[in-house]
Amino acid sequence: MEEGFLLEQKTLEGDLNSETSHQSSVDFLMNWFRKRSIFVLAYGTGCGAIEMPPTFTSRYDAERLGIRGAATPRQADVIIVSGYCSYKTLRRIIRTYEQMSNPKYVLALGSCTVNGGMYWDSYNTIKKLEDYLPVDMYVNGCMPRPESILEGFIELQKEIGAGKASSWQKYEENHEFYRKNQEAVLGEKVEPSYEADWYLYEGGL
Amino acid sequence: MENKHITIFHGPQHPGITGNMSVELDLIGETIQKATTHVGYLHRGFEKLVERRTVIQAFTIVCRICVPEPDPNEANFAAAVEELAGIEISERSKYIRVMVLELSRLAAQFLWLAGQSGSIGLYAVGQWAIADRDLILDLFEELTGARVYHMYIYPGGVRRDLPEGFLERVSKLLSYMKKRLKDYDDIFINNSSFKNRAIGVGIISKEEALANGYVGQVLRGCGIAADVRKDAPYLIYGDLDFEVPTELGGDVYARALVRRAEMDQSVHILEQVVEKMPEGEIMVKMPAHRKFKLPKDDTWVKVESARGEFAYYMAGDGTEKIRRMQVRGPSLVHAYTLLENLLVGAELSDVALIMNSLGICPPEIER
Amino acid sequence: MFKTIKSNFATADVEVKRQDLYKVVIKYDRLSALIDFLYNNYTYKILNAITCTDWIEEGHFALTYLITTEDRSNTFMIQTLVGREDTKVESFSKKFKQAQIMERDLHEMYGIDFIGNDNLKELSLENWVHTPPLRREFDTLEFVNEHLTFREGREDNVDVKAETKRLRALKKAQKEADKKAKEAADASALKENEDGK
Repeated sequence: MEEGFLLEQKTLEGDLNSETSHQSSVDFLMNWFRKRSIFVLAYGTGCGAIEMPPTFTSRYDAERLGIRGAATPRQADVIIVSGYCSYKTLRRIIRTYEQMSNPKYVLALGSCTVNGGMYWDSYNTIKKLEDYLPVDMYVNGCMPRPESILEGFIELQKEIGAGKASSWQKYEENHEFYRKNQEAVLGEKVEPSYEADWYLYEGGL
Repeated sequence: MENKHITIFHGPQHPGITGNMSVELDLIGETIQKATTHVGYLHRGFEKLVERRTVIQAFTIVCRICVPEPDPNEANFAAAVEELAGIEISERSKYIRVMVLELSRLAAQFLWLAGQSGSIGLYAVGQWAIADRDLILDLFEELTGARVYHMYIYPGGVRRDLPEGFLERVSKLLSYMKKRLKDYDDIFINNSSFKNRAIGVGIISKEEALANGYVGQVLRGCGIAADVRKDAPYLIYGDLDFEVPTELGGDVYARALVRRAEMDQSVHILEQVVEKMPEGEIMVKMPAHRKFKLPKDDTWVKVESARGEFAYYMAGDGTEKIRRMQVRGPSLVHAYTLLENLLVGAELSDVALIMNSLGICPPEIER
Repeated sequence: MFKTIKSNFATADVEVKRQDLYKVVIKYDRLSALIDFLYNNYTYKILNAITCTDWIEEGHFALTYLITTEDRSNTFMIQTLVGREDTKVESFSKKFKQAQIMERDLHEMYGIDFIGNDNLKELSLENWVHTPPLRREFDTLEFVNEHLTFREGREDNVDVKAETKRLRALKKAQKEADKKAKEAADASALKENEDGK
């Protein structure tokens, strides 16, 4: 894993190899701008939050790739689900995810989001994050090192540049599927959906 | 015009909160009338998970109970199992355990520095502190193989011996730290903007602190020299020479001065350990893992972590599995009995400042 | 001190576990009298923790109170045995303020009712309607298999024990076949020698 100048060279060269033939030039330009400035929501949901300060400060410096923190969901692009989710946290993550505006991405950190990790027999955590939220990129490890997190971000940037990262569209189209799974786990009292543009779908103003 | 009475959540998704917890505040204007703490966002049911596992299976998940500082958990678990089974460990493994615990304490104090300075807006201190903490994590990676969750202290000793030249690298780091910690005095502790914000905020009285069972730097900031390493010495702390710093103010500034003085004491202890490290074996002969039975007995062990007194209650029942393991971290009483009383009458912008100075870490409250 | 305790309160001796840890087992109705006695006469003024162990085979909970002296040099473990069904225990939250949060935690995890504690709401769980989790009759793996689903494995995923047994049986059969082939080869070589002679 390179550091410093070689890392920036790798991200620049990534553009030259990506498949962009199926995008229009406006789309290509928009995706190029989006991947250069990723705002990460300030929410440490689990164990993985202990390796996020080293990634975003001066030693492993994620800001040279355009990644910085944002405090409010309205201005954030990426929500990092760092580790296991208990039921109480899952309810808040879903509510926060639905408050973010499109386009938005989900980065799942750690092995607990893949198959439950080492809390596989715990009565209060969920085992498979993909049933409840659409995931763009998984980063494995317990904890993943800061270099792994940076590599995860670079892969995410490549996917955004190629126009393939579209999990928010998947959430809108399959909303009943996700909602059914969320209600099965959290009970009937899941908050009303902030998602779909209500003035288009629910009869207008 | 009257000030409105509103209720807000200083909530889980917030850059000014220490971990994943929330405080529900009733405000009139900007003054807090009532505060209610909510935890439970990180509940994994550790005490139930451990009941299904044998000693070597439980050892892998015990270090994840407290996220910023995992080593006191491992040391407590090993000490409790050793007391129940009647195992004595060698001198060299005791010295190595003390070295790991003190390095972990120093790393946790750097993390506190980053949090406390970030809560007032001095972000440069945070960048320095996290970078210095990374140098300690490099040493841990060389010794144990992982940066954060070490899984190194096992009942019976430690798992691996020191690599060649490790003690020289530790000495080099300590001489760097002695020069570097003076920079933090200039930029943070003697900074007039920190002094203006912190003096006179969040005052705790001495009688209340003693009666309600507060621990750690809350007691030391009120003038009581309380430290498990001096009151009930464990491992080799009885032979080492160090002091317990105290201050008399009882406010946020006094607790900050206490923690800064403790960092100097940690460096002093580490120098003595590096000098006196004896030779010997690192692990005594233990029974086979699948046949290691714990007798039907119970015990209570405690360790001084960076935030206060950390204690475990363990009970066995004659089989290989652990019957009951209860974790009593320092934050349980601080987050409920102390915080809900201390925040009444404070301003909204001081909530993050007070929470960082008390050292509240939610994963050990709800395990 | 130990003689007074044994004669007035306890039925067994006070056990000295370490230099700074004592333990005694008493009956429930003498509990608050003993805590008052230690509080007033021997400076045991700090409450450290309240814990509980579930002995389902013997049909009782073992409640333990840990109190410490004012100079923090000695801790006393006081253990009582209470029943498992409809447990009602007197609360110590008027005497020790930190007892309120500890009793709230035990109420949620075991279902013990503390009389006199004015805030017994949920702490770590939310909208929990099943049995209190730390009781021994609650099986956590069964709960997980009933309510949640795991990710499916890969196509080449095999059960380790069954696969090892199969491979071992295969190896054994191969060894038998080799041995038989060797014996047959030896026998035919011997027969050729005899024929050749």
